[in-house]
Amino acid sequence: MEIIEKIKTNKSIDNQTEIQKICLDKLRSRPLPNPKSEQWRLANKSKFSNFLDYPVNEKNPKFDTPFPNTSKSTIRLVIGNNCQINLIEKNYSIQQLTQDELDKYIKSQIFCFDQNENWSDLLNLSLSNAKNILGLKINGSKIPPIEIFSHSSGNSLNAKTLVIFLEKNCDVELLQVNLGKENSSLSQLTYFCLEENSSLNHGVVSYGENRSNLLNSLKVIQQKNSEYNLGSLHFKFDYARFEISIKQSDGYAKTNIKGMQVTKKDEQISTYTKIEFNGPNGFLDQINKSLADDESHAIFEGSIIVPKIAQKTDASQLSRNLLLSNLAQIDTKPQLEIIADDVKCKHGATISQLNEDELFYMRSRGITLPEASKLQLSSYFQEIISFIPISKDRWDLLDKLLNEK
Amino acid sequence: MQSKMKESEPILEVENLSASTDNLPILKGVSLTVHPGEIHAIMGRNGCGKSTLSKIIAGHPSYNITNGGIKFLGENINSLEPEERAQSGIFLGFQYPIEIPGVSNLEFLRVSTNARRKFLNKEELDTFDFEELVKEKLEIVKMDHAFLSRSVNQGFSGGEKKRNEILQMALLEPKIAILDETDSGLDIDALRIVASGIKKISSAQTGIILITHYQRLLDEIKPNYVHVMSDGQIIKTGDSDLALELEKKGYEWTDNFIKET
Ligand SMILES: Nc1ncnc2c1ncn2[C@@H]1O[C@H](COP(=O)(O)OP(=O)(O)OP(=O)(O)O)[C@@H](O)[C@H]1O
Ligand SMILES: [Mg+2]
Repeated sequence: MEIIEKIKTNKSIDNQTEIQKICLDKLRSRPLPNPKSEQWRLANKSKFSNFLDYPVNEKNPKFDTPFPNTSKSTIRLVIGNNCQINLIEKNYSIQQLTQDELDKYIKSQIFCFDQNENWSDLLNLSLSNAKNILGLKINGSKIPPIEIFSHSSGNSLNAKTLVIFLEKNCDVELLQVNLGKENSSLSQLTYFCLEENSSLNHGVVSYGENRSNLLNSLKVIQQKNSEYNLGSLHFKFDYARFEISIKQSDGYAKTNIKGMQVTKKDEQISTYTKIEFNGPNGFLDQINKSLADDESHAIFEGSIIVPKIAQKTDASQLSRNLLLSNLAQIDTKPQLEIIADDVKCKHGATISQLNEDELFYMRSRGITLPEASKLQLSSYFQEIISFIPISKDRWDLLDKLLNEK
Repeated sequence: MQSKMKESEPILEVENLSASTDNLPILKGVSLTVHPGEIHAIMGRNGCGKSTLSKIIAGHPSYNITNGGIKFLGENINSLEPEERAQSGIFLGFQYPIEIPGVSNLEFLRVSTNARRKFLNKEELDTFDFEELVKEKLEIVKMDHAFLSRSVNQGFSGGEKKRNEILQMALLEPKIAILDETDSGLDIDALRIVASGIKKISSAQTGIILITHYQRLLDEIKPNYVHVMSDGQIIKTGDSDLALELEKKGYEWTDNFIKET
């Protein structure tokens, strides 16, 4: 845990910003999350410590996207690549947040950090230097789809931070892509503030190469009448955590989440979600799928918090899981914390496997065993992939998943 | 006419077939030969082994053939995998079609149709061309297009599942179709639709085995032969009048034949 030792002795980072100083201070007093806490008890200890075993990378080597070229109508940004953007068009504007706006917002967040729940955020903000923080405010209508890339480079730990304000009434499609290079760790922290009446279709696609690691933390605040749709896909990381926290600050908002994680070999990928309803008439529809093969381990823990003030909340959460091998493991734990009494909350978890009757039925129609499982898998993936904005037309995500060795 | 059919090569020959599951004998020497253009009906009490016979012909891995065998177009198929049998033209319409949650019916139909087409050296169909083909076949069973976008059989009513089976038969154009109680659970109109569908799909080159408990289906599709099964054996074979006689006299009447055989 090279990086933690350096933090303890305050040798980790040169030229610290004010935010970094605050966060490093906090980390020094308690450098690691409590391994017995709900959020961390299932984390594979050696994999987690591998994550921390790289030196911090402060330079950003040139990044060639191995991805489909942008069409003219898409905006593509790469965090860390000096991305300056200041677009003021007839119908919309996309502008950089000022340093003041950024600092003020981030400080207000740090103020309410919890040691275990926000440990990944704290680490990120300790390591993320000014170049690796991108802050945007978006406003208007007919906004072109936006793609934002985060990537790690080999043999290093990389921290990237994204803060986005969606101003009133705006409607955005945004795909976030997190890429792990071989032997590297990526810490990504993303904040979204959805103001009243705004709507965001958000896609998160994260995948790595051999022995790459990811801590991906996503914080969303939704004001009244906003709509937040998230389609996410995480695969091919030796170790990855996706931590989602969504707060409907005054109720009357809509949240739809379709997430999926795919693990193979001895990978461990986990998703933790926390959805808080801080006002009445909130809506949530969430499905999380895990698919685990070989000796891998997938984890899903979802908590839904409905306090007294959140009357008439309508929330459902479903966890669906597919185990493809006897040695693979899936832990899934939906959690409901309801104090309000007039609410509709459903949650459930199912673990399924290709069963013999289904297989014989498919085979009796001429479908071979590998085709049968491919067919089931592709349908299984398709539900999530079709929910990821922008990707579906140009990215062969399904191909990547099905043909990934 | 009958004698002419006999001259042609049989499609299916089940020869003295005995089979068991978990060392429990279920079939005890079944013989049955189907020539092109023939329609056979198999009747018999619940539990006598009709579905087991059909599943073994389709290659179900849970059953062991302990004696005898199955020939399809003159070749022994005992050791063929179920998918190989299906690709070469054996179709089983399930008594209880399986629900496969999460697998799109349209994709399922397309992949299976292409598997059969590949065997026939026909061009495989992409989603677009397949939609055209399936539209035409849906017409045969009067099924709504909406069924294609659902998961395979999931939440289908009993009758809808049976129509989906016939839709598959229409797409796969088998040499021989074994339809296991396709008529059970169908309302009167649906029975007619399904029966006329089966007639449309079959031809002088194909064979059909109808497993049924009811005369109603046999009124619509007149069989050339009716077989009565009991305790894993065919104990009597006759023409379509045998079914009528059974209807009147019940299976007790056939119990006497066991002694005869
Ligand atoms: N996999 C199995 N394991 C144990 N017993 C089985 C198995 N398959 C079939 N059997 C038994 O074999 C016998 C024949 O079953 P089968 O389903 O073939 O009957 P059937 O003639 O189709 O009856 P029905 O008219 O009710 O559909 C039954 O007693 C059944 O319980
Ligand atoms: Mg049966």
